[in-house]
Amino acid sequence: MPDEETLEEGTLTPTQPEIQDPLLREILEENDLQADPSRNPLEQPAPLPDPDEVVDCLVIGTGAGGAPLLARLAQAGRRVVALEAGVRHDPKTEFATDEKAQNFLFWNDERLSAGKNPVAFGKNNSGIGYGGSTLHYTAYTPRAHRGDLTLHTEFGEGVDWPFGIEELEPYYEELEHFMGISGPTPYPWDPGRRKGYPLAPLPLNGAAQLMERACAKLGIKTSPAANAALSARYYQEGVGWREACTNRGFCQAGCSTGAKASMDVTFLPLAEQYGAEIRLGAYVTEIERDARGHVTAVVYEQGGRTVRQRCRNLFLCAGAIETPRLLLLNELALNSGQVGKHFMAHVGMQVWGTFPEDIRPYKGIPGGLISEDTHRPKDADFVGGYLLQSIGVMPVTFATQMVRQRKLWGQPLRDYMRDYNHIAGINVLGDCLPHADNFVELSDEKDARGVAKPRVHFTAQENEQRMNRHAERTMRQIWEAAGAKDIWAFERYAHIIGTARMGTSASEAVVDPNGRAFDVPNLYICDNSVFPSALSVNPALTIMALSLRTADKFLENQKA
Amino acid sequence: MPHYPEGTVRALLQTDLVTPATRAALEARLTAPAAYEPQFFDADTYRLLQAVAARIYPQPDRETPIALAPAVDARLLKGDADGWRYDSMPPDREAYRLGLGGINQAAEAKFQKPFLELDEAQQDSLIALLAAAEAPGENWSQLPQDRFFEEMLAELTESYYAHPLAQEEIGYVGMADVPGWQRIGLNELEPREPEGTK
Repeated sequence: MPDEETLEEGTLTPTQPEIQDPLLREILEENDLQADPSRNPLEQPAPLPDPDEVVDCLVIGTGAGGAPLLARLAQAGRRVVALEAGVRHDPKTEFATDEKAQNFLFWNDERLSAGKNPVAFGKNNSGIGYGGSTLHYTAYTPRAHRGDLTLHTEFGEGVDWPFGIEELEPYYEELEHFMGISGPTPYPWDPGRRKGYPLAPLPLNGAAQLMERACAKLGIKTSPAANAALSARYYQEGVGWREACTNRGFCQAGCSTGAKASMDVTFLPLAEQYGAEIRLGAYVTEIERDARGHVTAVVYEQGGRTVRQRCRNLFLCAGAIETPRLLLLNELALNSGQVGKHFMAHVGMQVWGTFPEDIRPYKGIPGGLISEDTHRPKDADFVGGYLLQSIGVMPVTFATQMVRQRKLWGQPLRDYMRDYNHIAGINVLGDCLPHADNFVELSDEKDARGVAKPRVHFTAQENEQRMNRHAERTMRQIWEAAGAKDIWAFERYAHIIGTARMGTSASEAVVDPNGRAFDVPNLYICDNSVFPSALSVNPALTIMALSLRTADKFLENQKA
Repeated sequence: MPHYPEGTVRALLQTDLVTPATRAALEARLTAPAAYEPQFFDADTYRLLQAVAARIYPQPDRETPIALAPAVDARLLKGDADGWRYDSMPPDREAYRLGLGGINQAAEAKFQKPFLELDEAQQDSLIALLAAAEAPGENWSQLPQDRFFEEMLAELTESYYAHPLAQEEIGYVGMADVPGWQRIGLNELEPREPEGTK
């Protein structure tokens, strides 16, 4: 932040220059309300938790990592409490079909992006609120492949997961049926599955039809994709009937109908039905330990109060940036030297083109069509592989990333955007190898709470660059075959992975194969940070599978 | 490139095809008062920002152009962030101060006048230099020019295409989603979707 003197030139000095952090400002505003509750009769402060109570399981974060295990532990009769930094919204009345108005869904605290390919955060991959990032995930839910978990065995590079796909498959099945995933049965790239998807695939939009048509010409197999959005109404325990998707295409800025299986309409209400308590607006600052190094309590800020909650076990599910940030700030579980290390982001190259057809990219599930023929391409000069998908896009998201890439301005910019309804895109989602140069650290720059901002270093290495070239070539061929003009590519990196890896050795990993920290026996970590490798598919379904598995392993361990 | 009829989004906002939350967000932009008093920038710097925005989004077709500078001023005053910042960039307030100052330095170096006193063609030549990261000026030693241009361009773009009039311009009516969309395939339009004319 600029100091007073540098502000003098060109700017007025703001009245409260120290408050650059919107989250803090929100809290301060809440404090004002709480100082005088009569001003807002609907928001009376919640009673303070009993300072002496020790809960069985305390969970930090209510996204794809925290929510499933919260429900599982509550169903097993545990006294569980979740701490969520954000608030709860009523999607039906509060969510606008307007990208800018939905910015409250994103984790907008500033992170510093370093390296040769600085990663965009906020709306690109990081959420806040009851349901975490699932409130704005695209709902694209392919399963990981067997080979994704054994890269090192197959290629001699990257790392293997400490278990095989057999460990995840029962959870994939359970999740697909619990959330009502819509997808093709049999699945073309894994036809031997024991159970198919519970619902038929969602309808294809214009971009998906273009990709389907072009891939057929080129001999690339495609299929309607698996999406965690309902193609028919579905009964959800703890919630009731969820209605079918209305094709409003707005998944990445919040589903207002409940058709998308975000955590707020699936696992969180289920958890609450079984007695889980979810505390909102609770921002964790400290994790306390006893002399043995066991976690004893968590300290958080809520509505201007500092609260301490004692616990027997802690589940840290804050995502691949905030999880290592909390560990580093609290000097916790650092013995392996792996906390913050091996940050990965999926190769997410996009290719766009302009078509004579009317496409209207705002309609339909964004990721309608998939091909996994490129999971292990025959002509690959890289390790791993990628999937191909068609993409729908909203105008503000499209325009802002387009100008970042093409640097159009003036009349050519307005002219190009007039073709928005005729523009369609495809993108890839590709594996990323762990590399020592890519990591999360604490910077010297503090946020408004006085907490060090995280700095994230990411440089696409040789393998990612090779995959980028292969993917761009493939996608340009597809879009040319589809009849696109003015084709351009956007090199981007999506999802945040790694930084507290799982493994079999305490000297090489932060958590063991059950998700338990090697250094701290009553600390479990469950989110994208524990992934040893990035996988060649979108991570949400696998994070949820790990979450259920972590809960089951914990409960088994408690019995023994 | 297609042209779409005017008034489409404004008409839809009057119907129950749009939810109250959506209508509130869009109408706030549509009815924002034309006069805006800057609270973060001083008056001169604010006018400079307006002039730069007018070259990046020229709107000779509109009697009252969509105002893009107020959102920047209001955001910097509040200190809102979008979740990340290039590590090579100073904090946003400092970046705008240095970047706008750098644009004036470039104007003085090329034309011996401040940016505001140049004609449109001269101003455009400076924006082109900035976009190519070739603008002169000592401030650029403290601020990567390409990143500043990219960030400012993206912020102005977000404001422009979030505005109902700009959405009418590109034929976007996705906000009218109360009944959902049944006709979603290629060349399939519903009655409330405007057709473009070449």
